[in-house]
Amino acid sequence: MPTPLDLIKKKRAEAVSRIIGKGYLSTKRVYVGMATCEIAAGSKDVMEVFQKAISLGLTDVYLSQKGCAGRCNLEPTVEVIESGKSPVKYGKVDKDRAIQIIERHLKNGQVIQEWVID
Amino acid sequence: MATTYGIIVCDGTRCINSGARTLTLALQEQLDRHGLRDRVTISLSGCLGMCDKGPILVVNPGYTIYGNVTEADIPEIVEEHLVHRRPLARLAIQEDHLYNRFFRVFGDENFFGKQMRIALRNCGIIDPENLDDYLSLRGFEALAKVLTELTPEQVVAEVEKSGLRGRGGAGFPTGLKWKFTAAQKATPKYVICNADEGDPGAFMDRSAIEGDPHTVVEGMAIGGYAVGASKGIVYIRAEYPLAIRRITKAIEDARAHGLLGENILGSDFSFDIEIRLGAGAFVCGEETALIHSIEGARGMPRPRPPYPSVQGLFGRPTLINNVETWANIPVVLLDGANWFRTVGTENSKGTKVFALAGKVVNTGLIEVPMGTTLREIIYEVGGGIPDGKKFKAVQTGGPSGGCLPEGYLDTSIDYDSLARAGSIMGSGGMIVIDEDSCMVDIAKFFLEFTQNESCGKCTPCREGTKRMLEILVRITEGKGQPGDIEKLERLGDTIQKASLCGLGQSAPNPVLSTIKNFREEYEEHIHEKRCRARACTNLVTYEITEKCVGCGACRRVCPVGAITGAAKKLHVIDQDKCVKCGMCFNACKFDAIVKV
Repeated sequence: MPTPLDLIKKKRAEAVSRIIGKGYLSTKRVYVGMATCEIAAGSKDVMEVFQKAISLGLTDVYLSQKGCAGRCNLEPTVEVIESGKSPVKYGKVDKDRAIQIIERHLKNGQVIQEWVID
Repeated sequence: MATTYGIIVCDGTRCINSGARTLTLALQEQLDRHGLRDRVTISLSGCLGMCDKGPILVVNPGYTIYGNVTEADIPEIVEEHLVHRRPLARLAIQEDHLYNRFFRVFGDENFFGKQMRIALRNCGIIDPENLDDYLSLRGFEALAKVLTELTPEQVVAEVEKSGLRGRGGAGFPTGLKWKFTAAQKATPKYVICNADEGDPGAFMDRSAIEGDPHTVVEGMAIGGYAVGASKGIVYIRAEYPLAIRRITKAIEDARAHGLLGENILGSDFSFDIEIRLGAGAFVCGEETALIHSIEGARGMPRPRPPYPSVQGLFGRPTLINNVETWANIPVVLLDGANWFRTVGTENSKGTKVFALAGKVVNTGLIEVPMGTTLREIIYEVGGGIPDGKKFKAVQTGGPSGGCLPEGYLDTSIDYDSLARAGSIMGSGGMIVIDEDSCMVDIAKFFLEFTQNESCGKCTPCREGTKRMLEILVRITEGKGQPGDIEKLERLGDTIQKASLCGLGQSAPNPVLSTIKNFREEYEEHIHEKRCRARACTNLVTYEITEKCVGCGACRRVCPVGAITGAAKKLHVIDQDKCVKCGMCFNACKFDAIVKV
């Protein structure tokens, strides 16, 4: 009879494989802040830009929402994580910036330094 | 800006045993040698959970994790990584798996350097609407561990030993609450999560639930097991639709995975949670009023004892804790009370979440270890006061708290120090006030709030706050009378002592603390009819100075026609007509209008 601890470890392994199945190991992971405060600052539009780009064929990107990380005055925030590189956090992202992030950063690997929170 | 680095040295027991503390010294020596002392911060962290590879160093930005570091490796790390910006592959732990994700929030070193995240550990990291994300970060492992290895008594003992205190504001030892509820024989018992956050400017609980609702669900299930309850209720205000949606989904997902409901994870423990929406009355954050509200009665407090742990919801033993308290529970059980006790101060263990707001560069949601000073929060995490203005006070604890002036900036954040300084920890609102704000006006703002929210049950709160507010209004209108300050003090003292619940007992705090620390501002308002911050409109006059070029912008916006003057000539304000709306002041592009 498996113990609750055995069961939860199995559940975790399943969860990890489901996340990986959704493309977590893509070379780039993009997180868009989607708490009430971020949505109020316009993050829904930003999310739509990324969703649309993926539906139109942007590949090798894992897109996820996230909760509030705390940077209220710089919202909406978008985070790009690339394996082997420093994570990049963009602040005050709007539709236009989102499009630029896709074109310049995601497609061409060029970090847009002036919007980075550091 | 020159690249700055933040180095985190794991200060967990096993890393210390394998020599972590000598690494810090060696690091400092090397930083000095390269003249990097100002560009690199070294902070210690609690156990990072990679004990088998200790000692651990994390270099940010980039969350490069170095394992098995010895003193001899330090010169190479500093030289290669910090000087030449080449992370050292030889020692780096190449694990880009899901568990390491939380390091990435530390990349933003200025903001996150002094922070430590326990309750918010997953906020901004996981997709809150995906239980898989939470499970992948050891979610529900604490519950599973409890169900596998511990008796309910042992769980209560562990929470008690951890030193965790209620994060809703009063700071009552959580373990004691659990013990009292567990000791009751009556059944059924209930577990409640108080998410009726209502302080103006506070958004800790909302963000916590929106960022990671699962930890609350897990915490409550552990609480249910510990005290012998099979039903939990989340009381959350209806104004938080997204938080409600996410916690509802978290509960449904947990149910679908057998983490709530009958025979959780194959054990004989059954527990489920339902949501009750609050209508937004501030007093319903008080536990007995909250319980009345769930029962369908009017949300009013009742005298205690009996405490809810003895007679709570429907007269049954009830364990009621705040969102942040629940969010801490899985960590306490997973990493153990001994670890939890290493964070914080003698009598306040762990961390505290604050909603940092007001006149500060980085407004935000922060979580810092107890014992961090107000100065560190405002000037390091918060980045100081914007626009070169001068710091005046910091308000903690919302409408139940107080304002602390500059002299208290080195007060450490813990329940006892803040109380000694004349404020309270409260639920975590922290508002920074600069020289442009009037302390009498601030006190009036908070009292207006509590006065509105007073439920009216007991006279001191209902009538007393009303009278205090009347006095404050007249002071800010320039109609203050000698003796008003003493009257406020006397009334405040009576309300504190004679009110039934926490709302009334704490309502005078903003007034009394500003009188204590900024008495001269009250005196100026009353005796000189002067507001030094020029915030009280009735005590301010607008005047046009020599800088006026006669553009007429002020004349055109003035709603009462108080401004006259020919084109390109100095304009004048007729003080008898002026209603002090400030529109001319905002319209002037030449800074020619001043408040005096």
